[in-house]
Amino acid sequence: MAEFPISGYHGRVLVADLGRGEARTEPLDPNAALDYLGGRGLATRVLYDMIDPACDPLGPDNAFVIAASPLVGSNAPTAGRGHMAFKSPLTGVLGTSNSGGTWGAAFKAAGFDVLVVKGASATPVMIDISPGRAEILPADHVWGKTTHETNDVLSAVSEPGNPARVLCIGPAGENLVRFAAVANDRDRVYGRCGPGAVWGSKKLKAVRVRGKEKIGIADREKYQSGLDQALYLMKQAPVTKRLLRDLGTAGLVELINLIAMLPHKNFQDCLHRDEDVERISGETLAKTLLEKAGSCYLCPIGCQRHTRVAGRDGREERGEGPEYETMVLMGPLCGIYDIAAITRANYRANELGLDTMSYGGTVACAMELAESGLIGRAEAGGLDLSFGSGEALESLAAMTARREGLGARLAEGSYRLAAHYGRPEFSMTVKRLEIPAYDPRASYTQALGYMTSPTGACHLRGGYAVSLAFFGGAKEIPRFSLLQSPIAIRNMQNVGILQDSLGVCRFTGYAFSSDPWARMVSGVTGRDFSVARLEEVENRVAALERLFNVEAGATAEDDALPARFAEVPIVVEGKERRVSRQDQERMKQDYYRVRGWDAAGRPTPELLRSLRVEESKR
Amino acid sequence: MSAQKWQATGELFREFQALGRASLLYDVQDSHSGNMAVRRTSERGEDEIVITATGSQKGDLEPSQICFLSATETDYGYYKASSETDIHARVLQLPGVRASMHAHVKDLILATLDDAPKPGKPPDFVPVDPLAWHHLGGGIPVDWFAVPSGSPELARTIPERLAGHPLTIIFGHGAMAKGRSLREAFFRLCVGNNAGAVVRAMEKLRVDVGAVRRAVAADPGRAFAFPPPAYDIEGDDRSDFREEEEILKEFVKAGHRIFESRLSPFHTGSMSVRGVDTVLYAPKASMPRDVGGPLLSVPLAVGPADDAETALHKAIYAASDFQTVMHCHIPEAEASAHYVYPGESAPADRIIPVDAEGSFLYLVIPILPPDVSAGELVRSLHDYKVAVVRGGGVWAVGAQSLSEVLHHPSSLREICLYRIGAVERGLDLRRMEPQKAKRW
Repeated sequence: MAEFPISGYHGRVLVADLGRGEARTEPLDPNAALDYLGGRGLATRVLYDMIDPACDPLGPDNAFVIAASPLVGSNAPTAGRGHMAFKSPLTGVLGTSNSGGTWGAAFKAAGFDVLVVKGASATPVMIDISPGRAEILPADHVWGKTTHETNDVLSAVSEPGNPARVLCIGPAGENLVRFAAVANDRDRVYGRCGPGAVWGSKKLKAVRVRGKEKIGIADREKYQSGLDQALYLMKQAPVTKRLLRDLGTAGLVELINLIAMLPHKNFQDCLHRDEDVERISGETLAKTLLEKAGSCYLCPIGCQRHTRVAGRDGREERGEGPEYETMVLMGPLCGIYDIAAITRANYRANELGLDTMSYGGTVACAMELAESGLIGRAEAGGLDLSFGSGEALESLAAMTARREGLGARLAEGSYRLAAHYGRPEFSMTVKRLEIPAYDPRASYTQALGYMTSPTGACHLRGGYAVSLAFFGGAKEIPRFSLLQSPIAIRNMQNVGILQDSLGVCRFTGYAFSSDPWARMVSGVTGRDFSVARLEEVENRVAALERLFNVEAGATAEDDALPARFAEVPIVVEGKERRVSRQDQERMKQDYYRVRGWDAAGRPTPELLRSLRVEESKR
Repeated sequence: MSAQKWQATGELFREFQALGRASLLYDVQDSHSGNMAVRRTSERGEDEIVITATGSQKGDLEPSQICFLSATETDYGYYKASSETDIHARVLQLPGVRASMHAHVKDLILATLDDAPKPGKPPDFVPVDPLAWHHLGGGIPVDWFAVPSGSPELARTIPERLAGHPLTIIFGHGAMAKGRSLREAFFRLCVGNNAGAVVRAMEKLRVDVGAVRRAVAADPGRAFAFPPPAYDIEGDDRSDFREEEEILKEFVKAGHRIFESRLSPFHTGSMSVRGVDTVLYAPKASMPRDVGGPLLSVPLAVGPADDAETALHKAIYAASDFQTVMHCHIPEAEASAHYVYPGESAPADRIIPVDAEGSFLYLVIPILPPDVSAGELVRSLHDYKVAVVRGGGVWAVGAQSLSEVLHHPSSLREICLYRIGAVERGLDLRRMEPQKAKRW
């Protein structure tokens, strides 16, 4: 049995019970800390022990948990990310979301490892955290404000050397938009799965943190060896040293089009004119809208795009992005190649607190419904909902966030929208989460990743297999191998679990794998975290996430792609490609076995025992 | 005797041509050297010898350069056939022998050169690597000849030697191997050359080769804990996963690279990709173009019929999440596993890159003892992705692809070449090894 103190951890959980209006500090379970590390793993463990996975995600019984990792607070590269776990109101299964920025590091510096928020307040509140203490305060004065406005009002208490960092929702969260996001540093966003709606349901507007507490490093030499290697490799690898800084993630637009994965018109095909793609490329963004690159906490990569664009009224606006996913899902997926319109819509989504990915997918779905004659112009408030309508994209953001007119339907996400009009097959989702901007027909591995992601179709939780297509170097895998995909995607998913549980950025994976992290986390904690032990942590977290979903009611039938991907082919390198139901079933069953799950996709008791995944302490 | 035909077509010609090219690529011939022969039953039911023509370029054989001779005639000196036809013919009379091959195995010849007065019988060559020890025996004969090419003396002595050995060395000239197939004869020549390369690299590293030989001879079971599988002449055309086109292509590409980059001698080493219940497995990983080797789909679970090599692949998969495994016999790595730093008494337990690329890719590469357990090997592979087993070859793993796992032995060979070259030039490795490597 482990005991605190353990270097790298404060050993403290901040529990805010909004129903009772009280915040208290509880001890962190040291065994959970060492078994689940932090971030995604630890947050999911704490959530699973706290809530009934079958609960109403927008009711007071849901909770959300944010956890830092032992590396957050050190100077490990990119180690400042936070990870949030909750039951998703969009998908009905586990929701987890991850963000860069500075809030994660600030929270750790306030002296806590984990924040738990449960219950619900009757009136708008915020949580104010400073070293060793927390208060629940009224937030009526910021309720209704955008994320930018809220951030600016609440961070005004900053002092030199002690900045206040703000995590907040916008109007979308307040209005329980099922894909509402939570923002920090104005434009860094916990976007996926609708965490903002969970906050809104609890009347929680913001969490503000200030702090200067530091963590110890138990074995400085071991830590430094891992750090040296990591920094060295990041300076060497082309993606981390140059590409992302020069072009941002939108630099992928041209590349993904080259491998025939760039989706078009709600995934009807992947056909684009080259000149159209060029209009929304990372290169064009860099030449036209980019003001400067920026970085998250302790990040040497610098992929942030600080941009400016002419507003619809002609006045110049400034903001961040668009990122690749936003550029494509709010762009070609909606038939739009107008970079200014996409950028403005991105700004609106960030201010209102919408996940740009689900928003783009939902608008694309609405456009297909409109072109099928199911949504008329009057119902759309006079908007032209044809594919390619930048005006609709921009206008619908506010309507969605405020649930006005057709926006009230969009606020439910594409699955409920399409089902309302009797065409659920128009929703390009897995487990009701909108599919990212990589067509799964062009990579079986990515297809399986979407199918088996614990949070629904997510390239980050489901395994970022497509990254191997361009930047995998020697690790490139066959794109259409039924045999290799299950293990390949399991391994990719596990890499993601480790990165999320360490609070580090996915992009570090372009430079190095687990080894430097093993030495850094061993150095910080003074415990032996070999690569093999980290692998065990990864598999443990994967089993726990699946257990949560099984208890939430998810079944093997939910691990499937929309019918379009099985029935309608796209052409890749001269061959028609689809992911047939038979192939999906084979890969899925193989994946279950690789994971140690039964044919129904449930982790076996033997697996749970071997990984020490305990039953919930509820 | 008379020539029965001049033009070879079809499968037999392709085999000669492919192995001829392969021998050039592996640098065990010069442009015109060497010869190869098989004994077979002709279409007319007669025993015949098929042999390369004298002076033919083995890397670019033409159909007209394959000669068909009667196996019942005593004079094999037909003017177009190899000048060493007499030797081949006698070797091919040995029981069970269906093929013979002569090559200029330069590393082996260099390793057996001596400056003792001649005539005289040079000492047998004692290999210190597991492949040669198991496949060629603990002592390979070496003979000096006054006329070391095509002479009656050779025609008499070589068959005598090959009656008791798979391969014999002609001092200062080359080697002759017998086989049940031409591939087996070529395999033995490549393994022999590899054995010479190991010894030469050890000499460059100033390893006490005599001491290593004595240790090997005293307890070969301890020196070579992972015995390589026996050479199987059947099944090279077998492919169990033709429908997995992309994976198949990866196997073929990796096989070519292993052979052409001398990461493992012909038809040695192994590589695999893990499926859910199965392992796609190439037991003869080093595969030249147009030759190939078996590509098997075998159960993931260890079976009683598995050889040690196959079982180790499966053991690695059983204890890890890796998707690919590769095993190679890199002569420079085998030699480096015996390197002793000046002032030290025991071989080093790690290889530290001194070149820029190697330092970029690896912290260190562990060297494990010959009797390392499967569990310890897996643990090292978890941390380092590639490990050298002294007397057991190089093992590497990948999370995703064959290309990924291939990169490890390929990089390791370069790393070892630079270290060997540095020692050869009298440089101090300790001073060259980056400080960070001592921390990483």
